[in-house]
Amino acid sequence: MTDERRTDPEERDLLAAEYALGLLSGEELARARGLAGADPAFRQEAGRWRGRLAPLLDEVAEAPPPPHVWGRIERALPLPAEPGSNVVELKRRVVLWRTWSAAATALAASLALVLATRPDASPSEPMVATLASQTGPARLVATWDPAGRTLIVAAAAGMAPAAGHSHQLWLIPAAGGNPHPMGIVSTRAPMRMVVPGAMASDLREGVMLAVSVEPEGGSPTGLPTGPVIASGKLVRT
Amino acid sequence: MPSLFSASAIGHDGAMDSPAAALTASRESGDLAGLLHAVAGGDRAALADLYARTSAKLYGICLRLLGSEAEADEVLQETYVAVWRRARSYDAAKASAVTWLAVVARNKAIDRLRVRRPASAPIEAATEIADETPSAIDLLEAAEDRERLAACLDELEEKQRGLIRTAFLDGASYPELAEREAVPLGTMKSWIRRSLMRLRGCLER
Repeated sequence: MTDERRTDPEERDLLAAEYALGLLSGEELARARGLAGADPAFRQEAGRWRGRLAPLLDEVAEAPPPPHVWGRIERALPLPAEPGSNVVELKRRVVLWRTWSAAATALAASLALVLATRPDASPSEPMVATLASQTGPARLVATWDPAGRTLIVAAAAGMAPAAGHSHQLWLIPAAGGNPHPMGIVSTRAPMRMVVPGAMASDLREGVMLAVSVEPEGGSPTGLPTGPVIASGKLVRT
Repeated sequence: MPSLFSASAIGHDGAMDSPAAALTASRESGDLAGLLHAVAGGDRAALADLYARTSAKLYGICLRLLGSEAEADEVLQETYVAVWRRARSYDAAKASAVTWLAVVARNKAIDRLRVRRPASAPIEAATEIADETPSAIDLLEAAEDRERLAACLDELEEKQRGLIRTAFLDGASYPELAEREAVPLGTMKSWIRRSLMRLRGCLER
């Protein structure tokens, strides 16, 4: 049977049909999988059968999935290799802000204040936080895109943590409660993350972001353990 | 809620007869294809939108094939993660976005069904499934027209037609179909194979 199916095109196409329909099990399934991996013509014939019968799936009744499934999907997603154009735009803006904050913190801060009071900005507009120490120049800038739930954090040059330490970002909820850990800040490249839905709703105008010095890899307790070296509030751009 | 398929390019139900409905339908199917395109570019918000619009259809398929909510939850998750990885391979010329998604979900559910029965599958086959199987890569060639498929299925005898439908929609394997119909495995195989050849002959006419 095996040899016959490998050589006779008719037999091979029937095996592709059986494979596409899901009729096979055990050794026959293993053999079909092997062929699908090795033989483009077999794969294509199986694809043809899926296409032929696909309209049957229209008959299946819809059923709303339980709400928790989407959260699991989001957590299971690998980070995209090629970010979308929106993210590219955000990165561009971060670079812009980083240049600004290094050169003219005072100007940036006052401009942010002016922008923050703009009355007609929609809640889905991107927001920015300039994270600074109380005395020194601005050290980081965070850009938040609520539409894509993307947070980008760029550190100014010259703020690498001491050996054996990491700089960890925290979100301090406006309503009070414990800070949420948001990740380790890299000095080499801007940190980019997609924020889970529950936390995204906390990233509102006026919410405080802060960076603390922690043991390498981040706080072992889930709460800040070292000194806060920079903090700032999210404002509309 | 209207079936997603009625808004897809393969839709041929009554709603498509009115120009306004056809316009809406083409815009909707275009939107899903556009979302898949955005997903292929790494746009998570587009995936969330796609999920909101198609998950009920896909969850229905998972539930039908697996018969268990817990497993359907997991396979739905696997399906959208696979969509995230594989959206790039979607070809709008071959099938509507919703057909493509439905076939991804069905493939994932079939893979799960075959893992669930380790007695009939060698262990190597089971571990192989954990990776991206070829079925998820080269998914489907041109999707058939629904009415044409229905007409060709009608040319089969009623029992044979029922067997093909049960295999495709319920994920029944040869041994299960043979047991259900109380016939020897070899008999079931020859029934189905003959039906498949007739079906292909009709569809290629």
